[in-house]
Amino acid sequence: MSEHTMHASSGRVSSGRVSTARVITAAARGALADLRTIYTPFTWTVGWLGRIIMQVIFFALIGTLLGSRDAVIYLFVGQAVMATVTECFMAIPSTTWERRTGTLALLTAALGPMWPVFVGRSLQWLPSGVATGSIVLLAVGPFFGVTWSLSAALLVVPALVVVAVSMYAVALTLAAVVLRGPRWRNVVSNLSVLVVMLLSGATVPVTTWPNWLQALAQVLPVTHGLEAIRVLEVDGVVREVWPPLGLALVLGAGWFVVAGCAFTLFGEAGRRDGTIDFAE
Amino acid sequence: MRVFLAGWRMQLWSMRGNPDWFLTLILAPLQTVVFVTIFQHAGRGDLTSYGVLAPALIALWGLSLQTSGELITRERENGSLEGLLAAPGRFDVVMLGRISAVTSLALLAFVECWLTGWLLTGELLTITHPVVFALTVVVSAVAMTGWAGVMASVFVLARSARTFQNSLSYPFYVLGGVLVPVALLPDWLQPVSRLVFLSWSSDLFRDSLTTDRVEDLVVRVLVIVVLGAVGFALSHHLLHRALRRVRTTGSLAHV
Repeated sequence: MSEHTMHASSGRVSSGRVSTARVITAAARGALADLRTIYTPFTWTVGWLGRIIMQVIFFALIGTLLGSRDAVIYLFVGQAVMATVTECFMAIPSTTWERRTGTLALLTAALGPMWPVFVGRSLQWLPSGVATGSIVLLAVGPFFGVTWSLSAALLVVPALVVVAVSMYAVALTLAAVVLRGPRWRNVVSNLSVLVVMLLSGATVPVTTWPNWLQALAQVLPVTHGLEAIRVLEVDGVVREVWPPLGLALVLGAGWFVVAGCAFTLFGEAGRRDGTIDFAE
Repeated sequence: MRVFLAGWRMQLWSMRGNPDWFLTLILAPLQTVVFVTIFQHAGRGDLTSYGVLAPALIALWGLSLQTSGELITRERENGSLEGLLAAPGRFDVVMLGRISAVTSLALLAFVECWLTGWLLTGELLTITHPVVFALTVVVSAVAMTGWAGVMASVFVLARSARTFQNSLSYPFYVLGGVLVPVALLPDWLQPVSRLVFLSWSSDLFRDSLTTDRVEDLVVRVLVIVVLGAVGFALSHHLLHRALRRVRTTGSLAHV
């Protein structure tokens, strides 16, 4: 329900509500400031990208142990895409920063829903995650036998964007739950990355798992995004990637709805029992 | 000894209630699932021991890196470093006790990973050479304690080093051969990896699980001891440098 405010100087009446897009944009500016605080170009390149490259190489070397070139490529591509997911899942701890800084209570008291703030607040992880995955797949991958046709290479980055955006929605859903117990933020973030890694086909095919776990894997957008990227790497057939990428986007949209509901429920519960405070 | 044990008890007590301290232990079973299922899918059940040992070694290194590396810095942030330095007990002995507590806790990962491997394969991994295994656990834990002390001091001496704290994991997992033996690394990298005690520990652990005779046991254990001693010496030197710096700059009480 909108509220109307009379401006003393102009006599105009405004609705007092700010558009959702403006809220997300404003929160995104904060996210950009966070990114500049966390990383310099040097620390991002050496401290973060270097670590991810070594992680991907660690898994690719398993293929060497198995004596299988196909396994090297399978594990390399899987881990490169998981690097993007890992960074998106940093939205789980960064969402809880609002509670630690004491701004969560203000957000709850503010007019309008809470979820647009949280959608914009952790957006910094998406471009970083896409950049990490892209560099690993396109620049480092060829050293491990990962090859791309020109058309496939051009589609890798958009495919990673789809993975990042859709998995960001999954991360926000988990973040809304973790807001209730922020001390578990790093455990939930890291555990969920491992679960996604297991189920999505990053290390072993999805069909390895029992039927009920396979069903769970199907609702994860990255399962389909990773499938699309593997098709690009193996066949380079562009038209075959649209269905899985489209499905990933649809699933991501669904997860955004779930995340919005979760944040709304959190806000309502907090107002009801007065538990939104500075608690760790 | 009393000061050492006091540091030990204090560290265990202070870790209660904060799940971040135990993150690597919480992740170890799932990491075991990741590695063992890769080998199972590839039809290489003979590599199950690799998949069980690797997460335990990762936990040993990771817990030391993340936890021990933060000890001195956290005391500064808490404002308690001054009190610790003013206390009659030797500060380096207190820190040694605390780091040893963390390293000991990390050894629980071996139990976790063993049980997880058992659940996945239906077979409990047999330690064919238990004395070798136990000896490797002891010398590796001691060596890890020494190098954890190096990390703790470096993070005080070089604040920017904390930015790279996260990146000190996987390079050492590769160089340490925790999952893929060092012998499979490129030739030019193998001499570098031999400077990392973890590479010797990893090989000894794997050999203790095979039915083959463990070759050159004494030499290999001595190498771990020597590399661990280097860690202790470096830790001692860097700790004194770190404390001299914070005393000189008057930054005992803040970062």
